[in-house]
Amino acid sequence: MTTTINATGTPTRQTQQRERPSRGKKLLKMNWIGGSLGWIWLVIVIVPLYWIVITSFKTQANYFLTNSFEPPSHPTLDNYQTVLDNDIIRYFLNSVVVTLGATVPAVVISFMAAFAIVRGVGNRWLRWINNMFLTGLAIPLQAVIIPIYLIIIRLKLYDSLLAIILPSIAFAIPLSVLVLRNFIRDVPRELFESMHMDGATEWGILWRLAFPLTRPALVTVTIYNGLAIWNGFLLPLVLTQSPEQRTIPLALVNLTGQFGVNFPAIAASVTLTTLPIVVLYALGRRQLLSGLTAGFGK
Amino acid sequence: MNDSGLSRRNFLGLAAGVAGAATLAACGSSGPSSSSGSSGGAASYWSLSGPPGQPYRQAAIDRFNAANPNSKITGTFYQNDDYKQKIKTALGAGQGPTMIWGWGGGGLKSYVDGGQVLDLTDWFSQNSAVKSKLLPSTFGAATVNGKIYAMPIETVQPIVLFYNKKVFDQVGVKPPQTYEDMIALIPKFNAKGIAPFSLAGASRWTNMMWLEFMLDRNAGSDVFNNVFAGKPGSWSDPAVLDMLTKVQDLVKNKAFVNGFESVVADQNADQALLYTGKAAMMLHGSWSYGIQVANGGDFVKSGGLGWMNFPPISSGKGDPSNTVGNPGQYLSISSKAPAAAQETAKKFFSTVLVDDTEKSGWVKSGGVPVLANSDSLYTGDDAQYLKDMSSIASKAKVFAQSWDQALSPTAAETLLDNIAKLFQLQVSPQQWVDNLNGVIGK
Amino acid sequence: MTALAPPAATGGRIHPRGGRSGVTWMALPALLMFLAFGLVPLVGVLLLSFTTWDGIGQIHPSGLTSWRNALADPELPHSLFVTFEIMIISWLVQTPISILIGVFLAAFKRYRGFLAVLYFIPLLLSSAAISLTFKALIDPNFGIGEGLGISWLKQNWLGQPRLAMGVLIFIVSWQYIPFHALIYQGAVRQIPTQLYEASKIDGATGLRQFFSITLPQIKYTIITSSTLMVVGSLTFFDLIYVLTNGGPGDATRALALEMYKKGFMANLMGPASAIAIILVLVGLLLAQVLRRLGGRGDESQLEGM
Repeated sequence: MTTTINATGTPTRQTQQRERPSRGKKLLKMNWIGGSLGWIWLVIVIVPLYWIVITSFKTQANYFLTNSFEPPSHPTLDNYQTVLDNDIIRYFLNSVVVTLGATVPAVVISFMAAFAIVRGVGNRWLRWINNMFLTGLAIPLQAVIIPIYLIIIRLKLYDSLLAIILPSIAFAIPLSVLVLRNFIRDVPRELFESMHMDGATEWGILWRLAFPLTRPALVTVTIYNGLAIWNGFLLPLVLTQSPEQRTIPLALVNLTGQFGVNFPAIAASVTLTTLPIVVLYALGRRQLLSGLTAGFGK
Repeated sequence: MNDSGLSRRNFLGLAAGVAGAATLAACGSSGPSSSSGSSGGAASYWSLSGPPGQPYRQAAIDRFNAANPNSKITGTFYQNDDYKQKIKTALGAGQGPTMIWGWGGGGLKSYVDGGQVLDLTDWFSQNSAVKSKLLPSTFGAATVNGKIYAMPIETVQPIVLFYNKKVFDQVGVKPPQTYEDMIALIPKFNAKGIAPFSLAGASRWTNMMWLEFMLDRNAGSDVFNNVFAGKPGSWSDPAVLDMLTKVQDLVKNKAFVNGFESVVADQNADQALLYTGKAAMMLHGSWSYGIQVANGGDFVKSGGLGWMNFPPISSGKGDPSNTVGNPGQYLSISSKAPAAAQETAKKFFSTVLVDDTEKSGWVKSGGVPVLANSDSLYTGDDAQYLKDMSSIASKAKVFAQSWDQALSPTAAETLLDNIAKLFQLQVSPQQWVDNLNGVIGK
Repeated sequence: MTALAPPAATGGRIHPRGGRSGVTWMALPALLMFLAFGLVPLVGVLLLSFTTWDGIGQIHPSGLTSWRNALADPELPHSLFVTFEIMIISWLVQTPISILIGVFLAAFKRYRGFLAVLYFIPLLLSSAAISLTFKALIDPNFGIGEGLGISWLKQNWLGQPRLAMGVLIFIVSWQYIPFHALIYQGAVRQIPTQLYEASKIDGATGLRQFFSITLPQIKYTIITSSTLMVVGSLTFFDLIYVLTNGGPGDATRALALEMYKKGFMANLMGPASAIAIILVLVGLLLAQVLRRLGGRGDESQLEGM
């Protein structure tokens, strides 16, 4: 079996493709625990999802009277109409703006910083910066929400989406740098050195070498941060006040107050707000998965 | 170079584009929309969302804006418990609304101590016509250190014992005349799989209603008056221990609906339990009537809802006409708002908030307005309810303010916390008393 | 270039030519952002803990008053306990299940695409959405139990301390196991089959292979995944806030919630800031511990091949 370094810099086994099925069978045989767990887990995942979807098509009166798990006898789109009437599209767009506007800059600058830290080993400043970020891992958002609130006020950004974006970027940095740094560290030094000797600038090396090699970790970090920001509740809660700036999590909680025990309406709002993301994921999944699984595990 | 998917160039381009667009979008919709100095005295107003009140609050704002197109009011509405936190954050950083809605009492006092609200005493003296339109009893909770800091608005809200007449008929029992009657009903309902009492245990202030009434019926109003006056150790009165033990007995006897600890009042889940017949009775604020009309289908219209003042305790010292609740709701004017906005607010107070449409609107919501002489309006489906509420409110020897609003927010939070633990049987009556004594005067 | 680079043993050590100052500027944007919204507020909270402020009026410096108030409150040790309880139990539940499912996914080729989409959906839902859904599902009066007539499901899930904690952990796991399983799946697929081949020749069984090969090979993944889990659980707020608001009583009142209640509901910003500092210290401690564990990551896992 030959071993080469492929284009992404990871050693691969040429015959891996042929071998996988047999290894698969072996692992499968021994992993019946994992297998059954996997299927059980699937059921656990599907049940609430199924419930949300069918409930969203029932009327409230119907919901109380019939069995929760029966599909609706007279499906209705009224709940979706109600939810749309309640401005859910705007809240959705707000969430999108905030998530993209925070995740992308966060990952980019974290990547730059991680690269600098790995490449600049021995530099006192970079070591100091590294420690600073590691310390930052320990700072929970809740702990500093009051001062952040005051800072946002001073910057005259209160009640804007930017008010959510800026602190979100800051809090995404420590973990992103940590993960990216660990990943970049495993890239063989010689690759960097040879490019450097060929006359590339550090900036060039960053984008032409480090970026492709680090892609799996970048994808992971982007997803992780993106999801965290998408789910973010505390920052929007404290830093925005008007309905125009509301993001999805806030809007959902707000709607429940409004809908009270109108579970069908709540179910419709949950479904509506999640559907686009699920579709996006289904479409982009191949890309994501290949990125995630190509080199993670170092 | 690995080519599966995004190349470096595309990624960078995408990143820049997305970030740029996002930032632009974010900036575009930014800017504090609250009271900070816009032209012509535009004012902002925050209050509670949901039935029954929100439509009428919005209607008042719309009426004012129609008549005053150059100094409009913008209203924003929040859920009850959400609002309580939001208003503090906003005030704390100087971004509060022009008009601050509240329950008066200790909460108002904390605003006064923080220099956040205008002293309206002189304004009311100068505008005696406005003052005379309001029921005098409503000013108590608006007064701090002898001065008036808020205007009474909306409705007088005593706390009432609601019951589901249909369920009572089904089980074959009569509405209770005394506390002992009420207790005797508990096993009867439980036997039929119906919860005796609905309760929103997660919200805590609903549990508090039980303590308020039971203490008052048992021992009268002195105990709480002492607490409110800041007398050390006031909670150590034996009547308090007795009341607390009785409350825990209720819990142990399954008087409250299964799962009450997680029922949330803001979702109106407790009312749902009553109007769907899963619970027989519910102690709640009089505003619940409006919610049940709105959410309960034809439950109220078909005569399914019954109501009464909390029954007397046979050996109790408290006057059975006493009640507790919200003597009114209160609107203050932010002292940090620009002068023009404050003027707009005052205009709002003296015109729209005391006009006849306002009065009839609140009557329609199923409440007794703070505006005087509303009796003639009690007609139609809700007539009997309104007359009864009005009678309870006006005939009460003592109309005490809800404890969590009368006390300071700090003491109130300790109170609510301990009440939750009391119902959870996590704290003993003596511990409860000790904990509460520790925050008297805080 | 040689086919296999020598082990990256020089990975973390000082390059003969000394550090590269040419790259320092690249770390600046991140640094600045972090300073502005991370460090400066941290200092702010420290200062606030030495004041008395009700959130509405003026801030009064008051020395150690707020600290004394915070430290004397029995809720503080209790919420610390709750926080660790959540952290440890959710790690214990999530890690084994994620590893097992991850190994399973790594081997199972059929339906991988379909499964992947389904598995990932919980992660896409916001904590608010999930809490609201489960709250509705397990409502003893209006939820599944009532709907399907299964009385076991009609229990007072969120009203009893132990059950509420269980529900919380379940929901957290529901949301995050898919993610960790995917991470482990990627890690397991990276394990060179030669290792399994070799051990098979030596007569190792599946179980033995799992413990002696699979687990050690994914050690760093376990650390990374655990870092994410632990750091994440320290900051749980949204989920608990929407699901139980710390209840019943204070059974699920983790440190972050205690801080929020003290500050925003009881108007005691000083003591709340003190609690915030404690939260940070706990986090710092954990970060250090994890760093010790993960800090030896300089060796390549391919050493000796």
